[in-house]
Amino acid sequence: MYYLIILSVYAAVDIIACLGLSQQFGVAGVTNFGFIIFQAAGAYVAAVLALPPDTANGGFQVYVGGFSLPFPLPWLGAAAAGGLLALPFTFLFGRRLRGDFAAVGLLVTAVLLNLLVTNYRPLFNGDAGLAAVPTPLSSGMFVETSKAYQYAFAIAGLVVAGAAYWFVRRITESPYGRTLRAMRDNDKVADSLGKNIVALRTGALVLGGAIAGLSGAVLVSFIGVWAPSAWSYAETIVLFTAVIIGGAGNHAGAVLGAVLVPVAFEEVTRFINNSDPTLPPNLLPSLQWVAIGLLITLFLWLRPRGVLPERKRVIAVPETGPADAQPAARVRFEKKDEILRASRVSREYGGVRAVAGVSLSIRSGTLTGLIGPNGAGKSTLLALLAGTEKVSAGQIVYRGRDITALPAYRRARAGLVRTFQLASEFKRLTVLENLIAAAPAHRGDSFFGAVAGRRYWGADESRAIARAAALIDSFGLSAHANDYAGDLSGGQRRLVEIMRALMAEPDLLLLDEPMAGVYPELARRIGAALRRLCEQGMAILMVEHELAIMDEFCDPVVVMADGAILAEGTMAELRDRAEVVEAYLVG
Amino acid sequence: MSLFLASVGFGLITAAVLAIAAVGFTLQFAVTDVLNLAFASVMTAGAFTAYLVNQAGLSVWVGLVAAMAAGSLLSALLNYLVYAPFQRRGSAPITLVIVSLGMALIIEFGIAGFSGGIGVSYRMSQGSTVRLGGLVLTTVQLTIMAVSVMVMVSVHGLLRYTKLGKAMRATAANRMLARNCGVRAGRVIALTWALTGALCGLAGTVFAINVGTFDPTSTDIFLILILAAVFLGGPGNAYGAMLGALVIGLATEISAAYMQADYKYAIAFVILLAMLAVRPAGLLGTRT
Repeated sequence: MYYLIILSVYAAVDIIACLGLSQQFGVAGVTNFGFIIFQAAGAYVAAVLALPPDTANGGFQVYVGGFSLPFPLPWLGAAAAGGLLALPFTFLFGRRLRGDFAAVGLLVTAVLLNLLVTNYRPLFNGDAGLAAVPTPLSSGMFVETSKAYQYAFAIAGLVVAGAAYWFVRRITESPYGRTLRAMRDNDKVADSLGKNIVALRTGALVLGGAIAGLSGAVLVSFIGVWAPSAWSYAETIVLFTAVIIGGAGNHAGAVLGAVLVPVAFEEVTRFINNSDPTLPPNLLPSLQWVAIGLLITLFLWLRPRGVLPERKRVIAVPETGPADAQPAARVRFEKKDEILRASRVSREYGGVRAVAGVSLSIRSGTLTGLIGPNGAGKSTLLALLAGTEKVSAGQIVYRGRDITALPAYRRARAGLVRTFQLASEFKRLTVLENLIAAAPAHRGDSFFGAVAGRRYWGADESRAIARAAALIDSFGLSAHANDYAGDLSGGQRRLVEIMRALMAEPDLLLLDEPMAGVYPELARRIGAALRRLCEQGMAILMVEHELAIMDEFCDPVVVMADGAILAEGTMAELRDRAEVVEAYLVG
Repeated sequence: MSLFLASVGFGLITAAVLAIAAVGFTLQFAVTDVLNLAFASVMTAGAFTAYLVNQAGLSVWVGLVAAMAAGSLLSALLNYLVYAPFQRRGSAPITLVIVSLGMALIIEFGIAGFSGGIGVSYRMSQGSTVRLGGLVLTTVQLTIMAVSVMVMVSVHGLLRYTKLGKAMRATAANRMLARNCGVRAGRVIALTWALTGALCGLAGTVFAINVGTFDPTSTDIFLILILAAVFLGGPGNAYGAMLGALVIGLATEISAAYMQADYKYAIAFVILLAMLAVRPAGLLGTRT
């Protein structure tokens, strides 16, 4: 029985930690191989907040601070410390760095910090760590050991774990959580839809760090000791194993994984006798690590979504009136006003000029076509206009404002939205979620909005659902509204992308081969819908290879070859020009 | 001999060991696209293979050849049984990194389980000492440096002049394109694993010779030096790894002379994080 009490405290600690990791890794897709640092830091801070100044105990141990703060301040301080500690690492998770490189950076940090703390005594008391950390609400200096107290502690630990579960669920099931999942599935596309990737990743690191810090505080308050040897980098792998086995992205899975792996596997086997003298020393603990390695690999192979996979968020589709049936553009500009001007824009890749001094003007209310042979620089030009790529030279003015240096997400928020040539749906979001995720100015699409809860953002959500449902209906995809976008056919995924871009309420829409892989009948319906949007004042620039589409819908048409603009005019005019025919129409 | 010159000597030896490992790691990453964090564990496997051969009464230099064979075989098996199947399934790079961490645990603690996790040493003589313009080195240390220089020259020759080397470079630059141009990418990748695995086994053994006493966790920290050297020069760039190894080797040992020895890894760590933050493509790299 006594043993069970101890075990439930460990379970509470592991559950809290796994929930933090599940939020960070499973939901936001931020792989933090240094997760243990945050737990260790939280535990240390909780310890020194509770301890008296280190001169008070005869100097047998040294530490930073020593504030004798009453419970629960040490636990809150631990959570704050875990969150603040995340800030210096956020530079690793910017837009530029590959996720696996960032993960390696954090792994190395975990290994090195452990080494330094172990070897440097003056700051953290070195290898010996801290002892005699006061237990919460106890009178004396030493660890309270009465049974009733331990019982109460176990319950308190589980209550904190329950609160952590409630909190991460509230975040994950909010519009903000949906944005995090969208970023996890495709960060570049989320960026192009107005999501600030750096801020989102920073948020995920801070929240995960705070929860990890809290879990460390619960542990250190119970066992009363803190030593660097308990926080080796490999402990992070145990937590990752737990979250992956339980089901990354499903918080119930994280709880299950915490009970299965760190608790059942690590803590319980501590009590198995390992004193058989015929076996090599350390055999059992070593085999435990071997088993962790095997478990994580086997699960990633056999059941990569875990025992309890992330569940699908089915959204009830409201009945839509006929008035909502067509997507409408926000008419904010007079037709034929210049909305975007690019001046001598260039982009070089290691000496190759993909786009060489392109000047281009796009007017509201027009559907401009962009054609040219493969490698002409069409997609690169789109990327430059949308901010996905930085220009090497030149200037881009949008609605009278120089946006050359503006990052993609801020251009998207200003109404300049693009789609991608390659499939770029958020695979593990449903079609409806793909669309709703793009809704601009959603009150629930921020951390604090998410914390405030459904009452705060419910109205925005209903409006977004209604608008998304109407869009899906108008493109005839209602039957798939609650299917995962990753499970659709190629043509259907193109549609999802177009609808998602429209959902972002663009004033200027850049489409990269929106009709590739779409059957001709549907392609014409898309063309007609785009035409209608332009009549309402939207500007569209569309890369397309199908000349029949250009003939029917686009005016003017711009021809690119070798990174430069070759000609501009109506299709009829272009057909009469020899150099255009030579560059493209024949060859 | 001054403190500075002594630390330069240590730095050159560390750089020699590090260069073998870093070149192996970076070529492995460039061609196979696996950021193989089990690399240091395979080094340990090589070092222990040499130890077993050495315990059987043979010279450690025979053991070194056995270690290269063991590293080669183990790496080829890792690819064949684990990494290649995951890649064929289209797993994300981060999944492969997690899998490679799993492999690192299996290999490292598999060895620890049966060796007992205690420190062991080779039975060998350090050889006589040699004075070289102010530096005092043992013949064993000189041999390690000579081996390292030989490896660097061979890698250069391989990449520059052989068909396999060109195929490796082509596969690293663009696997799909290489395949379409008639490069048998699968075979080139398998050969790369075998080749870099041999370098890994070699690096593990010279590392163990150099440190004297080693246990299964000894290479954990060395992995930081490898990663720092690789990222300094530019991940995937063999010449960058050579340059990185020289800089990191000298920087850590010279700083160790003026600080407590335990903190010498801090400088490698700072370089690594700075490169990740400022220039992830490395000093010589264009790949991002």
